[in-house]
Amino acid sequence: MKKIVALVLAAVMVCGLCACGETTPASTSTSTSSAETTVSASTETSTEPAPEPAAEQISLKMWCIATESDSNYPSYVKAIEEVTAAHPEINFEWEATENEAYKTKIKAAAAANELPDIFFTWGGAFLGDFVKADRVYCLDDAYKAFAADLPESMLDNTTYGGKHYGVPLTMNVVGLFANMDMLAEVGYTEVPKTYDELIDCCDKLVAAGKIPFGCSGKETWCVTEYIEPLLEKTIGAEELAKIFAKESTWDNPDITKAIGYFQEWIAKGYFDPSGISLGNDEVKNNFLQGKYAFYQNGTWNCADVAAADFKSAVAEFPVIDSSKAKLGQLIGGPSDTLAVAASSPNAEVAANFTFELGRALCHYCYLDGSGLPAWKVDYDTPDINPLTQAVADICNQANGYVLFGDTAMDADTAQIYLDYVSQIYGSKIDGPGFVAGLTDDIG
Amino acid sequence: MKGIYRMNKNVKNGINIFLFLLPGLALFIGVLIAPIFMSFRYSLHDMSLLDPLSKENFIGLKNYVKLFTSGSIPFPKALLNSLLLAALSVFIQLPLSLGLALLLGKGMKGERGFLSVFFMPVLISTIIIGQLWLKIYNPDYGLLTRALWALHILPEGKLIQWLGDEKIALASAFVPILWQYVGYHMLLMYAGVKGVSVDLREAAMLDGATDGQINRYIVIPSIKPIIKVSVIFAVTGSLKSYDLIKVLTDGGPFHATEVPTTVMINQLILRNKAGMGSTIAVMLIVLCFFFAMVINRAFRRED
Repeated sequence: MKKIVALVLAAVMVCGLCACGETTPASTSTSTSSAETTVSASTETSTEPAPEPAAEQISLKMWCIATESDSNYPSYVKAIEEVTAAHPEINFEWEATENEAYKTKIKAAAAANELPDIFFTWGGAFLGDFVKADRVYCLDDAYKAFAADLPESMLDNTTYGGKHYGVPLTMNVVGLFANMDMLAEVGYTEVPKTYDELIDCCDKLVAAGKIPFGCSGKETWCVTEYIEPLLEKTIGAEELAKIFAKESTWDNPDITKAIGYFQEWIAKGYFDPSGISLGNDEVKNNFLQGKYAFYQNGTWNCADVAAADFKSAVAEFPVIDSSKAKLGQLIGGPSDTLAVAASSPNAEVAANFTFELGRALCHYCYLDGSGLPAWKVDYDTPDINPLTQAVADICNQANGYVLFGDTAMDADTAQIYLDYVSQIYGSKIDGPGFVAGLTDDIG
Repeated sequence: MKGIYRMNKNVKNGINIFLFLLPGLALFIGVLIAPIFMSFRYSLHDMSLLDPLSKENFIGLKNYVKLFTSGSIPFPKALLNSLLLAALSVFIQLPLSLGLALLLGKGMKGERGFLSVFFMPVLISTIIIGQLWLKIYNPDYGLLTRALWALHILPEGKLIQWLGDEKIALASAFVPILWQYVGYHMLLMYAGVKGVSVDLREAAMLDGATDGQINRYIVIPSIKPIIKVSVIFAVTGSLKSYDLIKVLTDGGPFHATEVPTTVMINQLILRNKAGMGSTIAVMLIVLCFFFAMVINRAFRRED
């Protein structure tokens, strides 16, 4: 009896395990089944009036970085509400993860080919790696219906091999945010327009016991927000873009010169020494609390800076070498993007939904001051904060964009680059060391 | 005939046992053994996170050589940092835990309360612990700097970059790790101390033994198996440490606080190098097994 019970139990366990296994219905049987349904429906039609066919419910899932503390969160909530209301046939679920953790999560999901239907990504090499591995659905067909609202020039960072793979949301550039109250204390009523003026302003701030710049050393991308405009305004946008694209070499005496300027800033005490161990949120908070005179970072910060208790302004980083660089050459461009997973069972529906969501997100992010529009603006914008308006004016005068270095480069190269940038901020190497190291390791 | 019947019965019992063990075994192989083998297979390839395995990217043991010879992968430094943490855990954290366990195990007023307080850091999420210590270490308003100013140990206004200065960042990052798990090991040892027979203690006391002698000759030898487990947990835990380092320094400044897991994540996720990331994962598994075996053998020899 015991044996029989034991065997039955074992059989139940084995059956249980088998039942837990994934069963993939063969595509032929599915199509057969649906064909049968169609046939039976058409038979019914001939005998009695057909009932109104209920719209088939489709589930779509999205991952993004708009956590509740993210400045884009309110825009996401409004945009999703608007687009899902227009599509009752879609059961839409979304999940937000903090920026750095998200990069890990999305890469792991891509490696396992388990991406959600729609996912937030960055243009350039970040999305390029996924496209190369055939993880992303091509949006060329879906784009046709939205081409009038989304200029093709905005798709450059998400176009690979002539095909479009991403829906850009907003455009951001690096801006020099200033605390005008602090600047007024050293005799500046506007943001310095030339490099000499900027240095003079910083010297006066240091002499007055103030800290000119705040920069997080714990998050190296923040250091690139200082170094890249410096490089661009010394060697020119075209040359910097070529270096990032590996079409030109880092072995350039002007880069040594630019890094030399950056090291001068450190030596003269322009940076908060505490910044080396602080994260970007802490540094930004220090700036908003009035600890620093300047904070050079992405223009997605416009709304937060505009809401600070001091008079604020934003400007473009001044030109250093006017023979190679000029005003209007900016670091940034449309990078924040939504993409559709190639593995999505509803990729076609997801593609159209993504364009609609992208358009709505662009609209609300722009109105909230957390980014400039990548899509055409055909609505009133009376309440946009003055800093976002100022950035829009800067971008209207722009004549060249160079995508953020760590986004433009492939993952491995970007980490090597960030490693050297971190060493420069910590004064571990000098300009020649930076150039020699990057030339050896990247080219 | 009886013999054959008994043999058949044994075979049938064996089959029954095997059938019952099969689901667990399948789970063990699927969840633990297979991933280790897969990681080892990946480690023999120069492949990106998104690449499939192929003959073209097979490079044999080159990743293992590169791990120790490449200047751009700070694995040797990370390994040394982990071994240092392991040594600190064994020689500072565990004696502290043992001391507390012996003190509380003897029976004292407020024993339960002390136990709860010491064990509390284990219950709190590591991310929260990390955030707490970030605030303590903050150079501008951190509790530590302010306390040193107040005690005139540090001249007022002088700032110390506890996590930003590469000379002290490692020590600063290790303090919370050691602090967090003192309570964990203490609780393990406390359970052991409480399990020591009261008769033995009383007999020793009648013979005139002091508290120190009772602890040394009776309690500690009695809880040796627990101490062995604690040592294994402390050493392998040090090799696997990640979360607090990630929150406090993320391996910086300038790789000063790298541990093998931060290097692994950097290679695997940030650089997309699945081959090299898997190599570090395999090295970690091998090292954990190696140290567990060495510790086991050391304790057995002592017995």
